[in-house]
Amino acid sequence: MDEYLTFQVDKFNFRVAPDRLYSRNGLWVKPEGQHLRVGLSDYLQQRSGDVAFAELKPVGTVVGRQDEFGTIETIKVNIGLPAPAGGKIIEINPMLEEAPEKINLDPYGDGWLVVIIPVDWEADQHSLLTPETYFGNILREAEGEASDQ
Amino acid sequence: MTERNVETEVVIVPCSGIGKTYGTVSREASYIVTEDLQPTKTCLVALSRLVLGDEETLQHVAGHPAITIDGCKLACATKMVLKSGGEVVKNYAVLDVYRQYRQFKPQGIASLNEGGELLAQALAQEIAQQVDELLSGRGGDENG
Repeated sequence: MDEYLTFQVDKFNFRVAPDRLYSRNGLWVKPEGQHLRVGLSDYLQQRSGDVAFAELKPVGTVVGRQDEFGTIETIKVNIGLPAPAGGKIIEINPMLEEAPEKINLDPYGDGWLVVIIPVDWEADQHSLLTPETYFGNILREAEGEASDQ
Repeated sequence: MTERNVETEVVIVPCSGIGKTYGTVSREASYIVTEDLQPTKTCLVALSRLVLGDEETLQHVAGHPAITIDGCKLACATKMVLKSGGEVVKNYAVLDVYRQYRQFKPQGIASLNEGGELLAQALAQEIAQQVDELLSGRGGDENG
């Protein structure tokens, strides 16, 4: 993988992996052959805090784009996870039940959430952001919030 | 080498995080242990005294085994005890304790909700038991 896109605001360093697409609310989607692997961006996991529990819909569940495929409870918030693409869940990360902190420790790697067989990837991918666009969005958001404080 | 007064007292060092729910849980649990459950076997140490380098506190921590309670992964309580020359015999992370007691969801900062109070109680019970095991185990060794 190419180097991360990174920026620092205050004491926080944020990384955007360049080899995948992003939803506006901070989920990443990485095409792997006919499948899509999905996870939380580093920006979203850092802003959300340490994950206490991750609950994902079971394998076999069919979700439409933007349907909730799981929830994450952190020390700060509960987050519903809208599917960045419609399809059938064929795999959920087995490590998250015992070690949900993987989402914080390695959001672009071991902390992945689900693997989906997409129904209409051609259409759904147009609603997603390139890493560069997502990077620009979160940079503006983080810098805007920092300047407000 | 510092001689630790293992048979008599354990110091309890909670997170000092202000404005953080999990920090508040750690301190509430500490109060329950040191004031209610094990008042004669434990001593509460404010993390800020270690940070400020209070000589008397440093000596006290260096001379007794410590149980630390960390509110987040920065683990300031544990790090400061170790930096102060103390011995951390047991560390608790509030997040890990919450994972065991999911029915007790903590909320609130200045004052905890019922879930937070119950989580602090559960954590305090675990620590109190740990104190007994620690002192009886070590005391037994020393007393032959």
